Amino acid sequence: MKVTVKLIGPLIYSAGFSEKQITLPDPAAVKDLCTRIKLDKKRPTIITRNGHAVTLADPLKDGDRIAVSPLYSGG
Amino acid sequence: MKGWIGNILRVNLTTKTYKKESFTEEFAKTWVGGRGFAAKILYDELKPGIDPLGPENKLVVALGPISGIPAPNTGKCVVAAKSPLTGFYGDGNLGTRVSDQLRKAGYDAMIVEGKAAKPTMLYIEDDKVEFLSAEEVWGKGTYATNDWIYAKYGKNAGVLNIGQGGENMVRYAVIRSLEGRAGGRPGMGAVMGSKLLKAIVVKGTKTIPQADPAAMKALGFGDLKTVHEWDKKSGWSIQSTTGVLAWCNEVAALPVQNCRKTKHPEAWKIDGERCNNARVATYGCPSCTMKCGVTVHDKEKHESELDYENVALLGANLNIFDIEQMGSLNYLCDEYGLDTMSAGCTLSFYADAIDQGATKGDFKFGDAERAKELLGLAARREGEVGNLLADGSLRMAKKFGHNSEAYAMQVKGLDIAAYNCKFIPGQALSFGVAPIGAHHREAWIITFELKNSTRESYGPEKAAKVIELQRIRGGMFECMVSCRFPWIELGWKLDNYPKYFNLVTGLNWTLDDMWNAADRIYALIKLNYIREFPEATRKGDYPPAVWFDPANADTDGPIAGKHLEEDKYDQLLQHYYDQRGYDKRGIPTKVLLGKLGLAAEAAVAEKYAKLS
Repeated sequence: MKVTVKLIGPLIYSAGFSEKQITLPDPAAVKDLCTRIKLDKKRPTIITRNGHAVTLADPLKDGDRIAVSPLYSGG
Repeated sequence: MKGWIGNILRVNLTTKTYKKESFTEEFAKTWVGGRGFAAKILYDELKPGIDPLGPENKLVVALGPISGIPAPNTGKCVVAAKSPLTGFYGDGNLGTRVSDQLRKAGYDAMIVEGKAAKPTMLYIEDDKVEFLSAEEVWGKGTYATNDWIYAKYGKNAGVLNIGQGGENMVRYAVIRSLEGRAGGRPGMGAVMGSKLLKAIVVKGTKTIPQADPAAMKALGFGDLKTVHEWDKKSGWSIQSTTGVLAWCNEVAALPVQNCRKTKHPEAWKIDGERCNNARVATYGCPSCTMKCGVTVHDKEKHESELDYENVALLGANLNIFDIEQMGSLNYLCDEYGLDTMSAGCTLSFYADAIDQGATKGDFKFGDAERAKELLGLAARREGEVGNLLADGSLRMAKKFGHNSEAYAMQVKGLDIAAYNCKFIPGQALSFGVAPIGAHHREAWIITFELKNSTRESYGPEKAAKVIELQRIRGGMFECMVSCRFPWIELGWKLDNYPKYFNLVTGLNWTLDDMWNAADRIYALIKLNYIREFPEATRKGDYPPAVWFDPANADTDGPIAGKHLEEDKYDQLLQHYYDQRGYDKRGIPTKVLLGKLGLAAEAAVAEKYAKLS
């Protein structure tokens, strides 16, 4: 399956990309995607799909757009 | 008494007199500092019903027990007065060297009373106070004024000043300091202008009394270094707060076109990546080691210092997706001394009202050139349109009629920060119950409600989180007076703050003591509100009506067809009141006030309004 990942803020610079499409074997879960993009597991993040949070165990679907953001406290 | 100096400077501009007044340790322990001091002083000294732009109003500049002490991000001060925008207690904080200089001059706070006969600059140097002419810079912007002050006193002086917006009493004029940024969204700059007070300059040479200065110095400098290292490692400062824009766009929380939309395909043009790519300098407050200001060149090649709120409200919410043009609007707000958020909301409301047929005008969403002209008209209160815009969105809506108040994006008169709560009930509650109007400083709950609850929930867990965040953000950080950024952005433990507090004061406080003080201050601000608005109901704690309107729901995207539901919001509000111990109007009960040690303040409030 193909999913699009959008990284937010400082995650862009640690991962080396801002947004890209990634191909994963089917089935795959959010945690597989995080492993693929080498997300720092110690860093608190919020991962969303279509404006709603997902957990690492949630299954992905072909065509998903996943946003990964560090935690902010506002502007 | 250690930690606090124990003195307040009282200055009267009418009589050109000043005196040093002492306060007790009991006062200090009850109100802590910063917002706590300001709220108590103004509650005791201002009569309800006074004109906020009259000489009876008082401006309070207040610091905390760790102000001027080396520790992470303490270079801020609180400014407060009766607000000309909301009609009750208003305040804000800003980065400035006044933070350490006023404490070194021997004061924890100052109170400015009366009205000068002509434009004045207050110069404070230790025990000396001078009333100097500011006629040379009256009519000038904040950059020129700050430069004029630096030329006289050097860059180590602490400076607060206003621009044309404050001079002309624009109701959302702020106080500025080039050492930091701007503060006092509810019109604290207008209060200075009403007193013909152009600037306050402070220099101090004294030592701030501390219980254990050696231990505090070792801990504070060590922690400053650690916060800096953590920031470098995390990369937060690369985009700083401007990174929030892309996230809000992803989760449909971005204010676009006066909050008519929650995301936009061109939002990427002004996001954190683009802001960082355009960066020409980095800006931060005194004693800050995780600088948040992203400075870019605007359309006219001025240096314009950005953060998320001004990018979103002067950019996306006006349908302006051009960094240079948005930067120009931001620069003009800073130069005129206008609150970027209220200015953005006021302009977007004006464009919307024209679109909806509530008024006639020549301003359209996306018209950056006309927006620049309008900011100038507002700052100078020039003509009918300038005077209209200078009064802010709520007063404009009341003039326009045609149900336009529904989409004036404010609560209690203070315009919202840049979070479109069309389908974010917890953040809508946070705006609704923020004690001074829709300020984002009090509780930023969006991440929690998406990650730890569900977006759809109106449950008690969201009310509890709002209270927890209010205690931390609007309470402890505003009283200490310190910046919150190291806490969430870097994971800096909250336990550090009582540690600093105890080292300077010699007390043995825990976070629970901080929360108790925070609850007391929130309750007192509510008493201030009900004293000014005795007929107020719980509807005053509602967010803008347009967020409840099914016709305003998104037609596509993550929250298509969704909107806040009024009956459920009312239940969420009741959860908040129940957990706070407030009555059905959102006012603290006498039982709670007694527990918080506010029986005397309650008795004063009862002369004006009924308490439960």
